[in-house]
Amino acid sequence: MTAMSDVTVLLLTFFMLTSTFLQKEPVTVITPSSVSETKVPTANLASVLVSPEGKVFISIAGEADPNVAGGEWATEPIRKEALKNAIAEYNKNHSNKVSLTESELETFSKIGSFGVPLRDMKKFLNMSQTEQDKYISDMNNPGVGIPIDDNKDLQKPNEFQIWMRAIYSAGNENLQSQMKKGEGIAVKADKDTPYETVHNVLDNLQTLKMNRFSLMTALKTEQD
Amino acid sequence: MAQIEQSDKGGKKKKGAQKKIPIHVDFTPMVDMNMLLITFFMLCTTMIKSQTLQITLPTNEKVDQTEMTQAKESEAITLIVDTERDADGNIKKDENGKPLNIVYYYEGKPEVTNETIDAASGLLTANKLQREAFVGNEGDIQRGIRKILHDRNAEVLKRIDVLKKDWREKKFSSNKDINDSIYQARAKEIRNDSTLTRPVVVIKATPQASWEGLIGALDEMQINQISRYQIDNMNNIDSLMVIDYVARHGKK
Repeated sequence: MTAMSDVTVLLLTFFMLTSTFLQKEPVTVITPSSVSETKVPTANLASVLVSPEGKVFISIAGEADPNVAGGEWATEPIRKEALKNAIAEYNKNHSNKVSLTESELETFSKIGSFGVPLRDMKKFLNMSQTEQDKYISDMNNPGVGIPIDDNKDLQKPNEFQIWMRAIYSAGNENLQSQMKKGEGIAVKADKDTPYETVHNVLDNLQTLKMNRFSLMTALKTEQD
Repeated sequence: MAQIEQSDKGGKKKKGAQKKIPIHVDFTPMVDMNMLLITFFMLCTTMIKSQTLQITLPTNEKVDQTEMTQAKESEAITLIVDTERDADGNIKKDENGKPLNIVYYYEGKPEVTNETIDAASGLLTANKLQREAFVGNEGDIQRGIRKILHDRNAEVLKRIDVLKKDWREKKFSSNKDINDSIYQARAKEIRNDSTLTRPVVVIKATPQASWEGLIGALDEMQINQISRYQIDNMNNIDSLMVIDYVARHGKK
């Protein structure tokens, strides 16, 4: 029994130290596989998740070390800043203004992957966590997913364009240079999703002149 | 084992001495709990990090026709990725359970003009489109679209193979990292060597093509060391060619 408990404790320690928790995502997607060996960065990344129905979700990650520059560029402050920027931009073009309280901003900064139209953001942030999860995983609800269309006019950006710009301006120079290099923007889609659906997102990124980005894939299992 | 034996030296027990019971600690609940925690951590962790494919798309800004760099016709090859779907939009699978991703391709220009369109049927009189499947290697032999691309980029691949051999034998440096980086730099030089015949690949995808198919096409570029490729949108001629091909040869 002693030997066994030793082993279990060792394994436990191993898993505790090496683990990075699975990101909670509104939809589970199986990414296609490729031979590329470049790994997805865990820090300074804006990743765009496209569901098979064409709903778009974004998650933001800041600096890996939360204490760099006084914690100003960690994930949570960047999320908060991005939301503030996005709302400011949204209110310029829309008559029904959105305003959020400090505690609502705080709630937002805790959410890993978000995707609700800005007009529903207040309602969404005031839900309990289980309600939020339930709300966001209903893919047939038109109020889920960041609104996106084939808008080419950046004077009147759609919400996806607002968000991507907001994230860019909320980040520090590390995030910005990563996004420029294309490593900071990752597009993730299911392997069965029609190209038409993903193309919509790629096209929007092109319009934003964020035409360098990375596509998330899994490692190819077959021997090449 | 998990018990502490207390030796009881012989001799007469003193009167009033405490009775000594061997202490036995039961580890079972602790091990149970550890196992549960291990299971929890195992299920919640991600060991494999996703890989990424870096791509650069052209901007949407209008570019003057004269400013565009025209690819040589002999070098150009266009791939059109398509996926068979049933009426519900589900991807059809072949007998091995693999999704039916197809790739059509043509070399050079499409050569479709008003004269080559048959007025009665709306189809073409001649179609240079060909169809291939995404199949990997069989042993050392490339198959399907990989063979087509491999043959067109043979000059580059031959040089890279020589380079790879040196890299495996660590000829550049005995240090693994330096060896790798020298190899990468040399391979890049070869890929971009304009004195070699290299193809220019244009990748297009039909609206119903699966994301997997497109990534598969991009992946073939990596496998075949093709440095010049781009993703483009389908135009009327491309769609017409695909429709015409299906009308002639049927679906797969």
